[in-house]
Amino acid sequence: MDLFLQTLLNGLLIGGVIATFTIAFQLTFGVLHVIDFAVGGWVVLGGYLGYYIVAGLGLDGFVAIPVAFVLFGAIGYLIGPILYNVRNSRTARPELMALALTFGLFTLLRGGMLTAWGFNTRTVATALSGESLMVGPVTVPLIRVAAALFAVMIAGGLFVFLYRTRYGLAIRATAENRHNAALMGVNIRRLSANVYGLYAGITAMAGVLMGAIYSVNPESGLRYTLFAFFVAVLAGLGSVGGAVVAALLLGVVEAYVATYVGSSYSLLAIFATLFLVLLISPRGILRRGL
Amino acid sequence: MSTSTQPLTQKPDAAVDPILVVRGLHKHFGGIKAADGVDLEVGRCEIAGLIGPNGSGKSTLFSLVSGTVAPDKGEVRFDGRDIAGQNAYKVARLGLARTFQIPALFDNMTVTENLLAAAAEGHWPGAHERAAETLALLKLEHVADNRASDLSGGQQKLLEFGRVIMRQASLILLDEVTAGVHPNIRKIILEAIAKLRERGVSFLIIEHDMEMVRSVCDRIIVMDSGRVVTSGPFEEIVRNSEVMKTYLGRPQ
Amino acid sequence: MKARWLDILFLGALLFVLVLLPLLVNNYWLRIATGALMWAGLACSWNMLGGYAGYINFGHSAFFGLGAYVTALMMVDPLGLPFAATIPAGIAVTAACAVIIGAPTLRLRGAYFAIATWAFAEVLIQFATVMEFTGGIGGLSLPPFLNERFFYFAMLMAAALTYLVTWALFEHSRFGLKVKALRDHEPAAEAMGINTSLVKLQTFVLSAVTASVFGAIFAYWVTFINPKSVFGGDITDQMVVMVLLGGLGTLWGPAIGGVALFVVNRLIWMYWGDTAFYIAILGAAIVLVVLFLPNGIAGLFAKRGRGSVSVLGKAVEKLVGAGEGDRK
Repeated sequence: MDLFLQTLLNGLLIGGVIATFTIAFQLTFGVLHVIDFAVGGWVVLGGYLGYYIVAGLGLDGFVAIPVAFVLFGAIGYLIGPILYNVRNSRTARPELMALALTFGLFTLLRGGMLTAWGFNTRTVATALSGESLMVGPVTVPLIRVAAALFAVMIAGGLFVFLYRTRYGLAIRATAENRHNAALMGVNIRRLSANVYGLYAGITAMAGVLMGAIYSVNPESGLRYTLFAFFVAVLAGLGSVGGAVVAALLLGVVEAYVATYVGSSYSLLAIFATLFLVLLISPRGILRRGL
Repeated sequence: MSTSTQPLTQKPDAAVDPILVVRGLHKHFGGIKAADGVDLEVGRCEIAGLIGPNGSGKSTLFSLVSGTVAPDKGEVRFDGRDIAGQNAYKVARLGLARTFQIPALFDNMTVTENLLAAAAEGHWPGAHERAAETLALLKLEHVADNRASDLSGGQQKLLEFGRVIMRQASLILLDEVTAGVHPNIRKIILEAIAKLRERGVSFLIIEHDMEMVRSVCDRIIVMDSGRVVTSGPFEEIVRNSEVMKTYLGRPQ
Repeated sequence: MKARWLDILFLGALLFVLVLLPLLVNNYWLRIATGALMWAGLACSWNMLGGYAGYINFGHSAFFGLGAYVTALMMVDPLGLPFAATIPAGIAVTAACAVIIGAPTLRLRGAYFAIATWAFAEVLIQFATVMEFTGGIGGLSLPPFLNERFFYFAMLMAAALTYLVTWALFEHSRFGLKVKALRDHEPAAEAMGINTSLVKLQTFVLSAVTASVFGAIFAYWVTFINPKSVFGGDITDQMVVMVLLGGLGTLWGPAIGGVALFVVNRLIWMYWGDTAFYIAILGAAIVLVVLFLPNGIAGLFAKRGRGSVSVLGKAVEKLVGAGEGDRK
């Protein structure tokens, strides 16, 4: 019973971290109408940034979080307009070309990281590494609690931004109907730059947290791209509300499969579930509006 | 798929012998009632004009009738068959063809290929000859091998009309097919419409240009806010002050 | 009409050289030629759906791998069936899988289909890795058949057949018109009476089945397969690059791109061995082709209706220029 509760809590905490970047992923789809295969690449790069800040500069892993946001926010800000131009170009199939572009980016990041860093696995060391927290009979690593708290802060900030500011309104309006948003004077091209920057920044921050909780290696990008797709398909592409529920669900399912079946089966279980959902209810079973 | 002689079981109507009957058609998009109980019919060999202000639901009606969008409720009978909520391709195979408000060409195919693609699902033997005839009819021979996306705006309208001809349909829905085109091209289209009507094809035409409506249409149907307001011959409609207010309010 | 005769002459010469090749070169080069034929064929199979129908398949390696595994499983003990008997079985399994994935997702926008195919390939990798009957991560060894000429001609036949079917079906038939029509404008294609869901599914199944045949020959040829070597994402990456590079939706683009990239692959392999750097090159190639050469190499030679700006010039203009706003 203790193990059961402990797994549940662990799963929810991880689910919180997954929620941060999957919300941003959904938002990006809403505005740019492209699913970003590179999402896992940004996560892993965030993790490596954390590792090098610890190993190279001797600082605490938590320092890497704001650095990751600024650095990858800037990179994303530069990539966003390119993606927008491809998606809205007049080639035979702009949707296909944009998909190919993010797929190529993902492959490029993976190959680049493999070339630079090999298959070595890296962990981000923080002040909380190795500490754990006792909640009644349940033991939880402190880093997971901190990461989840951080995730709640990021997600909360994002929701306040989306629902309480004018710019957030513009983003939501664009995600709902690009055409009308353009008519209302929203500059979608510039918005794309900002949204992709925001998304890349948040995703890299989540990567630092993932690097601290687990570890990262160049091949683990696949896992996080899968997470984002899983959440997107369960929630319905572009749905932000459903993304939180789906992310928590994903965290819990993964934790239970890893604990009770074996961690080598967890990816298979997630892929299989994703696949079944696509076959049975392809538009998402948690479909909710923005 | 030539126009069939009507089955004997069907009651001939004194006023119109409808090929298309729409009854109580509803479609809501969120809070917007794009079709709010549309009733209308189009008779055999009739050319009916559909007019109304922007956003009155004309193009939505086309999408509902042709199966591109499924209605919430209501009846659509085409040639005696209930087609409400049918897939667009099935409706098309029954002999209903349409154009789109924004030209919906196959951009990366040549002009000839566009025409052939329209005939690919239907009566194929002789399709190449018919494509050549259609090119001649629409005076598009000199661009036959150009990519559709390289055509001028007017030529694109012509090509879209040409695809509809290739369908050999018994009812054709035209959505602003002469909007913004050169008078020469409009003339070509009008002649083609007349020729098709001689062969027994019926038309429902969305049109903003009243001169064209007057010269081509046998009867005018006026829509406003997702409903049919009135219908009748052109002169009668023009005399009707209600219509003048909702639509013709702006001076010609 | 002169061009048509030149085409036939060129094709005849090419086929003549290809048939005589085993007499002209040693086994080392014959193996490279066999590989080039396989990749040209695989790229063409990806292009059927990706290029002609406009639906991007990020898990095409799944079907290649299915063909390979079905052949391997049927040829090893306890079944020990002959090679020829395994191909129809591979085709049947692949076709069934393609229908199961394609039927629900091809009705939706392309993004869902891309995710579904990608996920399917990853499921198969994971599955083949954890299962025992597939030999797990260690894979399977087939009864060796060391006859390079047999495999060369098998690949040549398969590739020739693939291109012949593509030429006949996608370039010179009503079916091809339907496929291209739905690629360019799906609602309009529906309005022309085309059952787009069915046509897409048929194309997908054909594309998947073709890849499975190459997978079957490949497995018998290399005599040893494991999950990474036949299901690996790199296989799909490579096909995507080949088609994009050669020219999406053209008949000869995939052949040009396929042979060109395979030669690059071998050169890199010769000088640096099995390097992760190659993955980065594949990624960079996709990005660069999408940005600067969206019509591929074949697009450089295609007749343009009008406009004198080169493809490259247009791409640069597009990148640096202000957004043109939404498409139409």
